[in-house]
Amino acid sequence: MQVNDQIDFVRQHIKKNKLRVFMTILAATMGTAFLIVLASVGFGIHDTLRNEILDNRLVNQIEVYSSEMNQVKVEDLKKREHVKAVVFRQSVSINQQSELDGFIGSHNMTVTEFQEEAKVGFALQEGRMPENESEVVVGSHFAENLIEPNTVEEAEPSTYKGSLIGKQFTYKMGLYEEKELFPEETTLTIVGVAKEPAKDWIMDFNIYADSAIMPDLTTIFTSHVDDENSELFYGNVNVYAKNLENVTAVSKALKDEGYSVYSIADQLEQLDVFFLAFKAGLVFVGTIAILIASIGIFNTMTMAVTERTREIGVMKAIGASPKLIQRLFLMESAWIGIIGTIIAVIISYGVSFIANMVLPIIVSAALGDEEIASLDITFSIIPWQLVIIASAISITVAMISGWRPARKATKIDVIQALRQEI
Amino acid sequence: MIQVQELTHSFKIGKKGKERKIPVLKGLSFAINEGEIVSIVGRSGSGKSTLLHILAGFLKPDAGIIQIGDVRTSTFSEAESAKFRLDHFGFIFQNFQLMPGLTAFENVELPLKLAGVAKKDRQKKVQQLLQLVGLTEVQDHYPNELSGGQQQRVSIARALITDPPIIFADEPTGSLDSETEQDILLLIQSLNKTRGITFIIITHDDTVAETADRVYKMHDGELSEGGVGHAS
Ligand SMILES: Nc1ncnc2c1ncn2[C@@H]1O[C@H](COP(=O)(O)OP(=O)(O)O)[C@@H](O)[C@H]1O
Ligand SMILES: [Mg+2]
Repeated sequence: MQVNDQIDFVRQHIKKNKLRVFMTILAATMGTAFLIVLASVGFGIHDTLRNEILDNRLVNQIEVYSSEMNQVKVEDLKKREHVKAVVFRQSVSINQQSELDGFIGSHNMTVTEFQEEAKVGFALQEGRMPENESEVVVGSHFAENLIEPNTVEEAEPSTYKGSLIGKQFTYKMGLYEEKELFPEETTLTIVGVAKEPAKDWIMDFNIYADSAIMPDLTTIFTSHVDDENSELFYGNVNVYAKNLENVTAVSKALKDEGYSVYSIADQLEQLDVFFLAFKAGLVFVGTIAILIASIGIFNTMTMAVTERTREIGVMKAIGASPKLIQRLFLMESAWIGIIGTIIAVIISYGVSFIANMVLPIIVSAALGDEEIASLDITFSIIPWQLVIIASAISITVAMISGWRPARKATKIDVIQALRQEI
Repeated sequence: MIQVQELTHSFKIGKKGKERKIPVLKGLSFAINEGEIVSIVGRSGSGKSTLLHILAGFLKPDAGIIQIGDVRTSTFSEAESAKFRLDHFGFIFQNFQLMPGLTAFENVELPLKLAGVAKKDRQKKVQQLLQLVGLTEVQDHYPNELSGGQQQRVSIARALITDPPIIFADEPTGSLDSETEQDILLLIQSLNKTRGITFIIITHDDTVAETADRVYKMHDGELSEGGVGHAS
């Protein structure tokens, strides 16, 4: 029998029992749509969390901790494979004060290597990079932390509004537990202002200086503090892999050498593993719905076979092979599965779209919080992989549930069938 | 054309464990020649239909050999049997056995579909046969819109459509009035003459048996030649 004749044959049979087939397709559609929408929530949450993590940090960054980090070790790290840059930032660990044109503020001195910083996106909004130990770059919010001392008590203290480039300011250090700062003043010149951080809630009040400044500051510190164990600077090292794929390799190598490392990749990996299991669980629950629908398909096909027993007998008598009979019935159940799946996919995309549009509004209304609506939360995502998985499950289940009835059809005894009353 | 040797068959009846064997065919041997009309007569329940079912491959015999042409069909699997039927046999049944959901035309067309003949090649052939059996007028009618005689003509056309060398007919006129019966028998005879088709007709009716070249009598599971055939 030619394929188009087979399709024709199946179509005629389906036409004859429109209502029954329709109800069966409806059940298959509901089961499949349930699976897709349910699992899409897993994909949505996963995606939202993933974006949240990726937004907040640089993905190829690896934080490296070591009890005795120093410049030699840093140089060593730079030479490693797959490493793009190593940023060794050292911050002053004691109280600090800067004064500019009578405005006073507390700014954190961070010593770093500008060459390395530049490789990983450190950029200026104006000015240039420092060229000697008295030149510094200041963070984008530096001025906002320079306050007129007389207005400190006021609700809106007045802050420095003027230009910063070329300005000199004095920098002093002191101990938190002492009221007076160390008397030594260091005069610094602002030659650049750093770009604003990507996230608008992050404020950058730092003073960025070259490591050339360290000896002077250390001298001041040691002249006041003679505790062997206390250090003026504490450092942190970020290693940047060339790209995301290298992160695991680099961080594993570092771990093996006794460094404590932390990277976003580790966190993402854990998240991905968790969500893989979570999504699999959702698909499993959804599959139960499809299995319930499959009972309907099984019933419909069994009835179809029973009803057509005599016709099947005639077909066999005039020479239809058992294989053909089986195929015709399998095609019918597959058709139910395929149509059900197609409708389910369309419906699921609709439901997903509406959910993403309406749910944030409902949630924010319920919590009385406008913020949530503006947050970038996706409740439901249907990637093509999910469509493939759901279709495969749904159509396979449809065919499996049609398999027994189809077998039953092939087993029909010609003589018994022909004996049936018309 | 058909050679049968020592064909034996019995049915098991009764509940499992307490089955009884009822022998229906007790070692039949006979031969049917190409182009003959052979009729098998006998009382109801004598095993005529069972013999036909075995010859057609609907039923496997307990023992015995069936040879059709050069082919030993008694050892066929179910699928082989089906394929052989499609290529070599036509069937005419007492209650016509048409597909209720198909028109007269589509019923005649069905075996060609099963044989994988393309649509454009089917059309003409079906038309020709419908004309031959005189049903062109009603080709778009469904079986329940046709008289018994018309339905039987449809089933004859269906039996002929694949040009089989052998046609089996089990009580072909059993459901028809005597006038229609005559029409059908004449049609069978003319098909036998013009196309050389071998007919094996099962009947309990002497009028039908008279159309045959030879008549076998079924009695008590045994077959004997003789009786009312027109040649005898
Ligand atoms: N499937 C079956 N199971 C048990 N006995 C059967 C079966 N089919 C036929 N018989 C018996 O075999 C005998 C022959 O039946 P059948 O060949 O139909 O006779 P006929 O066609 O000559 O009337 C009858 O006694 C019938 O009851
Ligand atoms: Mg009979």
